[in-house]
Amino acid sequence: MHSIWAVATNTIRQALRMKVAVVFTLLLFVLIPALGFSATGDETLKGRLQTFVSYSLSLTSLMLCLLTIIVSIYTMTSDIEQRQIFTVITKPIRRYQFLLGKLLGVILLDVMLLGLFSAVIYTITIYMPRFTKATEAEIVEANKQFFTARAALTVPEVDVSRKVQERYDDLKRRNELPPDTTKEEIISELTKLAQLQERVADVGDRLVWEFENVKPLAETMFIRFKYDIFPNPPDSQVYGDWSAGDPQYFKYGEPPETEPYRDFSHKHAARTFHEIEFPSAVVPESGKLAIRFINPPPSPWKPGNRAPVIFPLDGLEVLYKADSFGGNFIRVVFLILFRLIFLACLGLMAATFLSFPVAVLFCLVLFFTASFSGFLIESFGYLGESVGTIYSYTIKWIIEQILPQFDAFNPTKFLVPARLLSWSELAKATVVPPWWNLDGDMIFVKAMLLLVLGLLIFTFREIARITV
Amino acid sequence: MEHAIETFSLTKIFSDWWGRAKVYAVDDLNLQVRHNEVFGFLGPNGSGKTTTLKMLLGLLHPTKGRSLILGGDGADPKINSRIGFLPEESYLYRYLNARETLDFYGRLFNLPPKLRKMRIEALLDMVGLKAVANRAVGTFSKGMARRIGLAQALINDPDLLILDEPTTGLDPIGTRQIKDLIIKLAERGKTILLCSHLLADVEDVCDRIAILYGGKIQSQGRVKELLQQTNKKQIITDAISETTVAKIKELVQEDNAECVITSPMDKLETFFIKTVTAAQQQARPTSGAVSTTKLGEFLTQPPSVENILDKLVSAPISPDIAEEKLAAPEDVVSSEAVASEARPDEQLLSELAGSTKTERPEPIIPAERVETDAVETPAPEQQQIRKSVLDSLTGGSADRSEGDEEYGGDSQAGGSGDA
Repeated sequence: MHSIWAVATNTIRQALRMKVAVVFTLLLFVLIPALGFSATGDETLKGRLQTFVSYSLSLTSLMLCLLTIIVSIYTMTSDIEQRQIFTVITKPIRRYQFLLGKLLGVILLDVMLLGLFSAVIYTITIYMPRFTKATEAEIVEANKQFFTARAALTVPEVDVSRKVQERYDDLKRRNELPPDTTKEEIISELTKLAQLQERVADVGDRLVWEFENVKPLAETMFIRFKYDIFPNPPDSQVYGDWSAGDPQYFKYGEPPETEPYRDFSHKHAARTFHEIEFPSAVVPESGKLAIRFINPPPSPWKPGNRAPVIFPLDGLEVLYKADSFGGNFIRVVFLILFRLIFLACLGLMAATFLSFPVAVLFCLVLFFTASFSGFLIESFGYLGESVGTIYSYTIKWIIEQILPQFDAFNPTKFLVPARLLSWSELAKATVVPPWWNLDGDMIFVKAMLLLVLGLLIFTFREIARITV
Repeated sequence: MEHAIETFSLTKIFSDWWGRAKVYAVDDLNLQVRHNEVFGFLGPNGSGKTTTLKMLLGLLHPTKGRSLILGGDGADPKINSRIGFLPEESYLYRYLNARETLDFYGRLFNLPPKLRKMRIEALLDMVGLKAVANRAVGTFSKGMARRIGLAQALINDPDLLILDEPTTGLDPIGTRQIKDLIIKLAERGKTILLCSHLLADVEDVCDRIAILYGGKIQSQGRVKELLQQTNKKQIITDAISETTVAKIKELVQEDNAECVITSPMDKLETFFIKTVTAAQQQARPTSGAVSTTKLGEFLTQPPSVENILDKLVSAPISPDIAEEKLAAPEDVVSSEAVASEARPDEQLLSELAGSTKTERPEPIIPAERVETDAVETPAPEQQQIRKSVLDSLTGGSADRSEGDEEYGGDSQAGGSGDA
């Protein structure tokens, strides 16, 4: 252990004295406070806070990711290329201890820098309401919708397969199936269409979402939603009549167990998220909750919409307070730390057999692939069948199984909407495998696999370059 | 475990990308280095010396054959803890200063903090870098980096010292110091593998040598046996009158032999050291390494004292005592500098030097543990050579092998010189 520790402290010294870390640190020290002043968002306090936290955390995360890649690769390759390793590895230290020492050094450096910057961001965020001329209402809004951590009830996906099958059979009977397309393609198109229909409300129509096992832990709950509308009205404003309460009442018109909440008076801008607060008391004993949306037609006494309203895939959820902002912030920082640990293992692994520029390029490609994995995986879906099969068993497999999906567990995804990142969610991102059907990412497990690979390569490779 | 280093048909073939054999860097090498011997590993550039060392230490994998180092594998930490290695260039962490560099290596050996600190200071003192100990080694000249490289190889007081071209980039005083160090360490029963193509260095200190060419050993044996001209004799005397010279010539001619009589030249090395030492006495400022001829005390202690010393150091000890111990060798140095200039004081100084020796902590040597290897293995001649070099360093009365004019000749041991 003493030798691992000796190598680790030496690695930290190297990063600090070779000024790699210093440059990144200075850059962040300038940029983060600058963001604190320049971030305005939608001019409200909540908007300012959201913009600041989103940009500063993303920036810190990106900078530290790049730093980790560079430092972890540099610390190995420079030792090998400048041959300091000759005098180190011939001392009583095993090769795995050397590599683990390097890893420990990089991780400790990350912990220090991440701790420092998250403390700076946290402090600025907490004190921002005092420095801005926010109205009382804005502060209340920020406290309810930002300085909190809310668990989300998401809409369960509606099973449309029977509907799709019926529609397909119907088309087939009428001989209206499009030519030159396979059955799978038609079914997939029909499924998309059917799912969309579940999320569209024509003028005067209504949509009802039902949630089960709702255990409200706070006094109020929030409907968080985003409208899409086509054709777009000139002012992009959408009217909506919202209600929340007992499903028995909304679905079958039976007398409600609790008095429903109604909000028929607001209009909201399309294509951005909005929230409506309602009291938790509307949830009946059964723990079932229904949310109803009516697309109001214009009438002489009340304005309305002239076009169908569409809710995007992630366009509706119900939130309730489950934890504090501070606790959530700490877990989000952990999420970033695990990302850095993964990159440190990746960088060290690459550096055991690649030179500095090649290893950096290699790691950057993998880093950006992991950052846009969702987009990439989706785009493979548009490939033709034959090419698509090849890709889905090679590149897609690598992206899904070997690389982590940074975008699936994006830190800002939690803090900006004040969404709870629970410890179990954190575990899901780090150790739970995706085949448990929990959308896990196993980032920590993947990091350890890379580390083992790096250890194997490093243990068996020749350290000295061939010179005759 | 008969040999400190032993290789069995050690072979290294460098192949190209396709795996085709390109170069036989080391070819079927069978090398035996005995315990407590100074072994010179010679050869021109690219003869496979460094490749052999790298295979011994596990930095390269042999294509064929195997090697034993201190009876084990060169990559085994247990073995590594008894080895000191100075690679062909001092590869140092540029951003660490000299003291931090040694501390880092000391920590790899898990030396307890107090012992580590003591050894670091002793080594910095020895390699003359104490004044620049807080400067980043990236700013060091090649010679200074070499000195730190040497210090890191000695921090664990190794049983086996592997030195690859130790004197490259060093000034003559540094070179001389390394040679003295090697001799001292050998006296303490250490084994030294010296890899070099600077033949003068090797000749001065090595017991045995092997000459490598094309990855194969071309010649090996005792330095004396390989070099001694048995068909000639050399006599060294004090300044004598012309008549005596004539008489000697006559005598020699009676024996039907040729005879050349000259005043011997000072070796340039000796002259250089004398000059620089004199300048140091006048305390001329230098930004570089301060060349001293001191040796780290923990390296020059007799082997039996070492354990006790380490125990003493790891036990609570007042810094004053440590300082005193470190200061002791300085007396020796100054006496040497004076002795080489002023002959009348020579006897007094040698006595002084002798007396400082007897004042060393010898009384605390326990009788029960005495390693005798150091005394037994080297041939008497070698001991005499070492003695002569050392004595001239410490201001002793013995002659230098090259026959320095100033020294009275009570010895005829200068056989290994360039007569």
